[in-house]
Amino acid sequence: MAHFVRNLTEKAPALVNAAVTYSKPQLATFWHYATVELVPPTPAEIPTAIQSLKKIVKSAQTGSFKQLTVKEALLNGLVAIKVWMWFYVGEITGKRGIIGYNV
Amino acid sequence: MVPPVQVSPLIKLGRYSALFLGVAYGAKRYSYLKPRAEEERRMAAEEKKKQDERKRMERELAEAQDDSILK
Repeated sequence: MAHFVRNLTEKAPALVNAAVTYSKPQLATFWHYATVELVPPTPAEIPTAIQSLKKIVKSAQTGSFKQLTVKEALLNGLVAIKVWMWFYVGEITGKRGIIGYNV
Repeated sequence: MVPPVQVSPLIKLGRYSALFLGVAYGAKRYSYLKPRAEEERRMAAEEKKKQDERKRMERELAEAQDDSILK
């Protein structure tokens, strides 16, 4: 037991350094993409977003959404599903448990 | 490396509003369910106590009425 603890304390910094050195480039690529793709919308972008929403509503009203190709419609559906999944991620954060409410 | 794609503001707005709605919904529902679960546990414990009491009385009654000479 004492040997194990001593080995651990001797080797742990080296292991941690190796892990950090390995993950740094991957973290860099993740950061490179995340700063563009995952940032929240700035207040200046909100009017653009509302315009896009109005366009979608109008296309639903005039029936021009039937002009979309099936491929485009499928892609839009997938994007909508991805956006809705963020709701469930938020719910997991709010209820502080992954499966079910731990009351 | 592929250059990062520019996400449309509508999608960004949708994502983050869904995230905040989710956090709010999860927290609200948790605080709604928690007292109910505690009440349920309390009722179950009381029921169990009553059951045990009843069983004990039945057992004692049965023993008292037992017509055996092998006491």
